[in-house]
Amino acid sequence: MAKRAQIIPPRPDLKRKAVNFSKGFDLKLAPEVVEKLEKVVHKSQDKFTADIAERLTAMRRSIAQNAADSSLHPYMIKALSEASREIKGAGGTIGFDLLTYIGKSLNDFVEGMAELSVRQLEVCTLHIDAMYVVLANRITGAGGEVEAELLRAFDEACAKFRDVS
Amino acid sequence: MPEKIDFSKVSFLIVDTNPLSAQLVRDILGMLDVTAVRTANNIERAQNVLRRDGVDVVITEHALGDESGVDLIDWIRNAADSPDRMTPVIMLTANSAQTYVMTARDKGVSEFLAKPFTVEGLYRRLVSVIARPRAFVNIDDYFGPDRRRRQVPYDGPERRSTDG
Repeated sequence: MAKRAQIIPPRPDLKRKAVNFSKGFDLKLAPEVVEKLEKVVHKSQDKFTADIAERLTAMRRSIAQNAADSSLHPYMIKALSEASREIKGAGGTIGFDLLTYIGKSLNDFVEGMAELSVRQLEVCTLHIDAMYVVLANRITGAGGEVEAELLRAFDEACAKFRDVS
Repeated sequence: MPEKIDFSKVSFLIVDTNPLSAQLVRDILGMLDVTAVRTANNIERAQNVLRRDGVDVVITEHALGDESGVDLIDWIRNAADSPDRMTPVIMLTANSAQTYVMTARDKGVSEFLAKPFTVEGLYRRLVSVIARPRAFVNIDDYFGPDRRRRQVPYDGPERRSTDG
């Protein structure tokens, strides 16, 4: 039999020491404060783009080294999964929304896979190439009609080849 | 007079395997006048920090190499050697599919924020855990913040008085 839920009131100590009426930041930030904080993010943009470029290179290298031997595919897929997840998380944070979309698409594509067919490897490579293009051309935001078309094409390719081995 | 948060009084632990990501959060916290920030890139190090120093708020990734931030939450909420079972934990992660959110929620995460994130999104989570903490619930196999986010008004028939 389920026991009765014990409700424990929120502990007041953290609120008591940090929340006041005179010093600090308003609970709802003023636009100028948000802008100041966003500058911190913008400042780190170069470091993040360099990091993303390194991850793209590492993904290409992993495919080049492991694609021919299917027993090595789990390592390659793990590398693709981890790198694409990081790019998915970092891209939009620093203004490269397209990197997030394409990184997510690749991350979803390899999720749960143990081996990749030639076609599936091509889909992965296309994702990586597209992210290189976005980065090299510094395409920030969601892009335009061409980019939207590209994303639709990725969706279709992923759906078509996701379960084909 | 509106409430304010003096972040200089709040200590943080950031748990992330990606040093750039951890540094970005640290920099944002620095702009909020936070001075006490610790970082860890795996669960064992995070546990050591929590045992040794204790912190007010934990911000953790879900993906920690072969480990999971959910395991850290589980340890904080349920382990016999947890230094503080009610420590607020914000999960900041690129693993944002519903299944990850549900698992983190059911292990007792205080707030969940998907990467990519905005500074406003992070700030709202900080406000929530510091200024608007939720009650905790202890029942069967769950110990953590009350998972009910809002009270939904019920305008159907009153059945409790006649039930049973």
